[in-house]
Amino acid sequence: MEPTHEYQAAITIHEAGWLSTFQDLGREDSEYLGVPCGGAADQLSAATANILVGNRRTDALVEIMGGRFTFTASRDVFISVTGTPADVAVGGVPVPMWQPVCVPAQTRVAISNARDGMRNYLAFSGELETPRFMGSAAPESRMGFPQQLAAGQKVALDSRYRGFSQPYLGQPLFRLPVPVPDFSAGVWTIDVVDGPETAGTPGIRELLSSSVYTVGGRSNHVGLRLDGPVIHPEGLGEIVSHGVPIGAFEIPHGDELIILGRSRTLTAGYPIVAVAAKASLPLLGQASPGRKMTFRWLSQEAAVERWREQQRLLATLEDRVRALFTAVGLPLAASNAAPSGVRAA
Amino acid sequence: MTTPLPPAGSLRRPPGVEAEPFGDSALMLRIADEDAEARRAGARRLRDILLDVRPYGVLNLVSGAESLLVEFDCLAVSHGQLAQTIRLAVAGMGLQDAGPVAGAKDLVVPMVVSGEFSPDLPGVAQELGLSQEATLSALTSSVLTINLLAAAMAPMMAGVNFPGQVSRCAEPRTDVPPGSVMVAGTSAIIQPFPGPSGWKVIGRTPLTICDIHEDPATSYRPGDRVRFEIIPESRWAELEGRFLRPAHQQEGGRHGTDA
Repeated sequence: MEPTHEYQAAITIHEAGWLSTFQDLGREDSEYLGVPCGGAADQLSAATANILVGNRRTDALVEIMGGRFTFTASRDVFISVTGTPADVAVGGVPVPMWQPVCVPAQTRVAISNARDGMRNYLAFSGELETPRFMGSAAPESRMGFPQQLAAGQKVALDSRYRGFSQPYLGQPLFRLPVPVPDFSAGVWTIDVVDGPETAGTPGIRELLSSSVYTVGGRSNHVGLRLDGPVIHPEGLGEIVSHGVPIGAFEIPHGDELIILGRSRTLTAGYPIVAVAAKASLPLLGQASPGRKMTFRWLSQEAAVERWREQQRLLATLEDRVRALFTAVGLPLAASNAAPSGVRAA
Repeated sequence: MTTPLPPAGSLRRPPGVEAEPFGDSALMLRIADEDAEARRAGARRLRDILLDVRPYGVLNLVSGAESLLVEFDCLAVSHGQLAQTIRLAVAGMGLQDAGPVAGAKDLVVPMVVSGEFSPDLPGVAQELGLSQEATLSALTSSVLTINLLAAAMAPMMAGVNFPGQVSRCAEPRTDVPPGSVMVAGTSAIIQPFPGPSGWKVIGRTPLTICDIHEDPATSYRPGDRVRFEIIPESRWAELEGRFLRPAHQQEGGRHGTDA
């Protein structure tokens, strides 16, 4: 069912932060054509932001990386802000993150002072009008699709949200079971599983789990470059260039450890000494330069169980939002309960 | 949760597909064969089988030279289940090359050769023991097949009739201009966007081969055939920036939607 668009709101961006872009969960089925999936580095925060306003997880939203981001909307809009802890204010009144918030027309919303991690996600109930490449709003800068937002830019929003008011802006509108990630630890622990060259690199297990690594300044959505001790695999010949998964720990020549991100170059011939567990990728997506981290080895089965638990919490939230929004008459996207990723059989 | 991989001997005709976990949500597939060309052909065939069968839970495929990375939803299938599905599909469809891909298109890519556009041509000719003219005619007389799309949809093509292998640059270039026609081994590739490359640059096409404002962004796909045609530099301005389309569409203009 196509949602009926009752109105279009104009969102005016007044301050665009250090780097803000359109974003979503990335391209589907694009990698056999040489285009990395890309998409929100912290998929958990991005999906949650959309769920909290009744959207599909895959809808377009805004990713904000640092600085001060402010906007006003020409009509009332219904928003949520997730990701790393930051200050969010509506008309000067602090409002909670990880909750839906009613924003009156022409009232300035400010997102600033992000700390601990590096990304915030701003979702609007409805559909943001944005260019798409291979069906996705996610940036693909190498191919000339930067999707960057600039101060003064107006973005159109098709929305069915109207007339729901929030008596006390500073208090959560609902009691929702939101799984809020913890970014406060001084040293983050990232779960990893064996990679193809783990066994051929004696000592790498002990090294990764007993050392502290620091995210270097040249890190980005292509990969995190870590400073810390490395061991090179022994007796490996030339590795024929092959596909590399998101989260692969590569040790190229030299003493650097690279964890590949969602916009990685899809093939490489470097040894892979570990692979981040899928459930740890959202946290990795929040790591900014200077962040310290260490690693914990999991079995494949334990890694899958962690991911299952993360997805179960998200599905529970989705169910509660659906029931609640239906009861109070808030708009819901036609189908926001599809399990992520699995193509309909 | 993970079921053990089925013993290869239990299948009637073991197809020899190696499946190795690459993290909790990916499998690396390779064909067990001594011969590199058999591994390369097998990797292409595996990709085509999986694009056809679309096993449940598969999210993305990444082609390597001799391998195929399969990324999947680990809540939908386990490594073992997926490996078994793939082996069954291979047993059913056969690993032998199915011949030209149905609907494969023919494309002609015009290229200009000049001092500026062909910095590696003298070195490539010397390495092959040919004159520069003979090197170029080896390229233009070859009908190349697009084996896979590499980074940023770059068409990687096999089958250049060189008498030997062309080596890569000792020092990869950091910024190769778009349109650059490059060779390595007996393969060719065209650079779609500015970026680094270690392949040898021997010409440049004035056409735009990938344009994200077109849908699809390239008119070629794996399996299509490509021929290079050398044109005089005087035609550069006339062709510059035009979108590469299949041979039968180039004159008429309208872009097909046959993807």
